[in-house]
Formats: sequence, C-alpha cells, structure tokens
Amino acid sequence: MKLNRIGIILIACALAAITLVVALLVVRQQASQAAQVRNKGVGLVKALSTVPMSLLADSSGRGGVLAAVLASNADSDFAYVTIGDANGRTLAEIAGSGSITPATPLPADARTGFGERTLPAANGGAPLREFYGPLADASGGPAFVRVGFHQPGFTVLAQDVSFLALLALMMFLVVPVMYVVIKREMAPLAALSQQLRGQLRQLAAPGRPDQPGADDMRELIANMQHYLDQAGARIVQLEEGSLNTTADNRLLQYGSKKLNAALQSLPDGLLMLDPAGDVTFASGKVEPLLGIPMDQILGQPLDAWCCDPALRTLFGRYSGDLRDNARSHKVDFAPQNVEGRQLSATAQPLSGGHGTMSFGTLVVLRDVTREYLARQAGNDFVAHVSHELKSPLNVIGMYAEMLADSDDESMRVESLNVIQDEIERMNALVGNLLNVSKLETGSMSPERNRVRLDDMLRDAYEQALPRAEGKQLRVLLDLPRELEAVAIDKDLFRIALNNLLTNAIKYNRPGGSVTLAARNEDNEIVISVRDTGIGIAPEAQDRIFEKFYRVSEAGAATQRGGHGLGLYLAAQIVELHHGRLVVESEPGVGSTFSVHLKIVSAPAGAAVL
Amino acid sequence: MKPRHILLVDDEPHVLRVLRLSLEREGYLVVTASDGNAALACMTQQLPDVLISDIQMDGMDGRTLCPLARATYPDHPFLILVMTSMTALDERTWARELANTEFLEKPLSPRQLVARLSRHFAALA
Repeated sequence: MKLNRIGIILIACALAAITLVVALLVVRQQASQAAQVRNKGVGLVKALSTVPMSLLADSSGRGGVLAAVLASNADSDFAYVTIGDANGRTLAEIAGSGSITPATPLPADARTGFGERTLPAANGGAPLREFYGPLADASGGPAFVRVGFHQPGFTVLAQDVSFLALLALMMFLVVPVMYVVIKREMAPLAALSQQLRGQLRQLAAPGRPDQPGADDMRELIANMQHYLDQAGARIVQLEEGSLNTTADNRLLQYGSKKLNAALQSLPDGLLMLDPAGDVTFASGKVEPLLGIPMDQILGQPLDAWCCDPALRTLFGRYSGDLRDNARSHKVDFAPQNVEGRQLSATAQPLSGGHGTMSFGTLVVLRDVTREYLARQAGNDFVAHVSHELKSPLNVIGMYAEMLADSDDESMRVESLNVIQDEIERMNALVGNLLNVSKLETGSMSPERNRVRLDDMLRDAYEQALPRAEGKQLRVLLDLPRELEAVAIDKDLFRIALNNLLTNAIKYNRPGGSVTLAARNEDNEIVISVRDTGIGIAPEAQDRIFEKFYRVSEAGAATQRGGHGLGLYLAAQIVELHHGRLVVESEPGVGSTFSVHLKIVSAPAGAAVL
Repeated sequence: MKPRHILLVDDEPHVLRVLRLSLEREGYLVVTASDGNAALACMTQQLPDVLISDIQMDGMDGRTLCPLARATYPDHPFLILVMTSMTALDERTWARELANTEFLEKPLSPRQLVARLSRHFAALA
C-alpha cells in the first residue's frame, strides 16, 4: 500500500539521518582524540629531548625522569617511552601496562628532526602512534627518544549518549506527525487508488457479467468526483484562509487610512505629544493655523519651532517634571506667524484602557477669529449703546439743574424743550435697539398682508407735521390717484418710514421742506422721502446703511446727532420685504431716500386691508 | 480781579450751551469749540486759563487735543479738565500722564463744575 510505503520511507529516512549524524559525530570525536594524542606525544618528545641522558634514567635504565613520566601518564592511551642509540640499542625504557616497544627501527629522518608514524601493535592490539626525535645530550653518542601512544578507538562518551538519545527521540516523534499529516491529505487519493485496484481485479477475473462492471465504473466515477470535490474544497479552504488574511490586512489598512483622512479633514488642527512633550502627529490644518511648516513641527524640539509663548506654556504643562497631565487646559492666543488670527488651543491627556495607559497629550487648535471678533463687536456695541444712552442723560441732568436754578422764563421753556427732545431721543434709541435685536435674532418675522399704502402714507405725513413745524419746515405729500397694493408688514414698514422721515426733518435746514411721495413704476411702487437738508457726501453714501455708522462732517456737528441705527433698521426692514432702499444725495442741496417694493398682483378674491 | 478765560470743547451743542450759561453767570469769559481743531484755532486767539474737553468727538477728539495743547504751549500751565464717563475707564491712562490734568465725571453737574473752578482759582490766588 502506498501510504504504508510512505511511512516506511519516512522511517528509513529518519534512520538514515540518525546514522549520518552518529557517523559525523564519531568522525569528529576521533579527529579530536587524535589531535589530543598528537599534542601529548609531540609535547612529551620535545620535552624529553632536552633532558640530559644522566637525568632521564639511572644506570639500570629505570627511575629518573622517565619514572616520573610513567607515573604521570597512567591513562590508557600511553604505551611506552624508549631511549635508543644510533644502532637501535635500547638505553632506557618505560612502558604502560601490557605494552612493549615494537622492534621497528627508526626512520632516517629521526637523526635530523622530530617525526611521527603509525605502527602496528607489537602484540596484535590496537595500532600505535609513535613520536620520535633526537636527544640534545649527545655525550654518549647520538641517541633518540621514542614515545608511543595507543591509537584511540571508538568510544561513546556518557554525555554523547544522552544527546543522541534526544536526537533519536525527536526524529521518531516527527515521523508519526508527518505521517498523519500526509495520510490526511492523501486519504481521498489512497481510497481512490484502492477502489481502482479492486476494479482492475474484477475486470481481470474471467466469466463475470458486464452489467455490474458498468455500475462499478459509475460508482467509481462518482467516487472520483467526490474525492476531487473534497480536494477542491480543501484547496478552496486554503485559498480562502489566505484571502481572508489578505482581506483582513487590507481592511486594517483601509481603516487606518480612513481614520487618518478623517483626522486630516477636521476643521481644527490636531497635535499629538508623546509623554516627553515632542510632537508625534500633526494634522494638515496645523500648518496654516500656526503658519509653521509641517517638517519643522514634527520630530523637532519644541524650542526650535514654537514661537508662541502661550502655546509653549501649555505644552510645558504636559512634559517634564512639573507635568500636570491629569486635566485638560485651554488657552487663547494670537499666533505670531499669522496676521490677524485668534486661536484657541485645548490640551487634554490621551489615555486608554480605563486610564491605565497613557499615549501622551492631544492638543486641538481651533480658529476662533470669528468668535473673537464677535465678542469684540459685542463689547463695542455695549460701549456704544451706553455712550448713546449716557449722552442724553447727561444733557437732561444739566438742563434739569438749570431749570431748578434759573428764574428766566425763556430759559425754563428751553430747558423743558431740550429735556423733552432728549427723552424722545432715548426712547427712539431704545425702541430701535429692541427692533434691531429682534430682527437680528430672527424673532421678528414679518406678517405680510396686501395693503393699500395711501392710508398709511397719510398717517405718517400727519405724524411728521408737528415735528416739522417746530423746525420751521414744510411737509408735502405727493400721492397719485390710484396706488397699487403691496404685500407688507404694516407695523414694521411704519418703523422704516418713520425713521426716514425723522432723518429728513432732523438733517434739514430752517425754511426747508420734506416731501413724502409715492408712484407706480413698471411693476414696482416707489415711496420716496426727499429733504432739502445738508445732504450726504458721496463717500459716506455707501456706508449710511451700516449699523452705528454716523456721518461726521462740519455741517452735521451743529445738528443733534443720531444714534446710527435708524437707516440700518429701515434698510433691514425693506430687505425683509424683498425691496430696495436707494439713496440719492447732493451735499448742501438735499437727499432722497427711495423704497422700491414689488407690486403683488391680487389673487382672485383676496382681501385688501 | 481780571476775568478768567475758559475754553469749552464738546460736540454736543446742548452741553456747550448749558455750561456756557452756567459759567458766564459766574463771570467767566467762555469760548466754545465743537472739536479739537476748532479748539486749537481758538487758542491762537486767546490762551485759556482752563481747558474743558470731552473725549469722544467727531473730528479731532479729546485724546488728541489735550496732549497737543499741552505740547504746543509748554510755558502756559493751564488746567485741563477731561469730561469722561465711568464706562471709559481704560480711556483714562493717557490723561494721567499729562501734567495738571483732571477728570470730570459724567453726567456732569454745572454746579459742581462751578465749585471745582472756584476752588482752582482760589488756590492760585
């Protein structure tokens, strides 16, 4: 059987490998032992050759240095030491147990120098390794020293046994594992081959009917299909495993890239500091916010790039010995490298694993220029409004004092008039402020109804008359016979109209006039307020609809100033009605403010208020 | 005693009128100006004994006028009174650095101003 053969081959391979390893070990051991013997032999010959003859042995050929050599070389390798003369006569000799010096004569080169050779053992034992050389002491004629060692045989040492045993055990353990793995992978093929073999046997057997053979073939093909499917499924499984790993990697990469893209596209700048206080991550927004190139920020010491003292102090809180990185801190500052920008930096410790891990510090840089400007505008607004309220109060206070102190009747009348004027002025300011605030917060939504303007314009005209007469002004009303209806919020529109008329009266000159007119023009109705006053300089005309803008010129200084909200409010209200407020003016001649409103064609049956 | 000259600078005509009437009743010679430029023009005609100025004015404001008047006439030690309100506390630092300059709190009382000037001239005499 094929599987069994594989098993046998595996075992054979394992045995061969063990044999090879053992053989290599033996060769190595023999080589090392031979080297040891050689070292001992050469060393001994050279040492003995320098010793005088008289010290080597006494006259009997025993004792002396040689006796000491025998005593110190009691191991099994040592065979003999022989001192002989040129004629081959032995002058002195010692030998280990069971050894005798072979009678082989010395080679010729022994006279001139040291040498070595291998000799067959004299008594049929292991071969000998002999080292020889001339004696330095030639007083009794030339003499030679011969040292013999037994050639080392194969011996297995105790430590080698355990090593070899371990090696063999490992190999025998690996064999069944490999066997099982291969058997599992080959099982379908083995079964198939067995079935094929059976089929062949059936075909070879004579006298069998053909019909069952065809059935068997069908079964065989079905089985083959089944095994192929199994193998295919296995391959698919393996491929899927590989694909899954690849897909997991891609998914991880994708996730990481997505996270990075999200960090980079945040409107705020992000900086990550490691616990040492160095920047390890900076998002793209940091560069324009701080005005410092990215490569200067990343991996550079803080002192080298950070020129904003506030930011340095903030970073300092999260690094070094004095670090206080348990809480978050916030600081507002104007970056040194970017003009006119206000930034807010919030630093907070980055920790994970319920506070057990610290990743350093996260610093969020936010552009708060708009909020800063808005706050500043708010402060300016409060300062402006309080000044505007304080001025009339100041005047009222002074006139009230004068009223109390003065006996002059004309003086008292003047005081009362001024006080009355100033109270009206304050009242108008407070009213306009409230309306502006309502408009700006969007809490004032116009209720637009179809309105005929005639009545409304007449009302406004009549209200303006007494105020104008006090300043010796004429007020004219110029209306066409028929005026188209428009859709407006009556109350809001009255405020706008009143503000325009107030200005026309306020900035007029004695003996002048104010004309309130309306006319149909194409698909619009134009309501105009014309005065014969001081006029507005061309450069100021673009700005008069701005909040708190006031025209300042020599002519205006003699008049009671406005508060810079009237025209702004009028323009806002007209805009709320999708109309236009236009100014035409010539300094010294007068101004005309025109409101253009779209005419609304009446839906059938719509009521006109 | 020769009459004292007062120069009043404010862009608020009512303030100028009330203060002028109050001071003239006390025998002062009062000149009024509506901004810094007009005030400097008046000073070329007659140097005042006291300059009373508002801060916020169209044209040249008090913050420019007062140091300029001081620098233009260093040998004439007139008193400068700056009319200011509590809302403009940070506006005061520049005026502190000017010699012989004091503040008048708004809302301003003509009676208190008259009393302040009487004390000033009594101290001079």
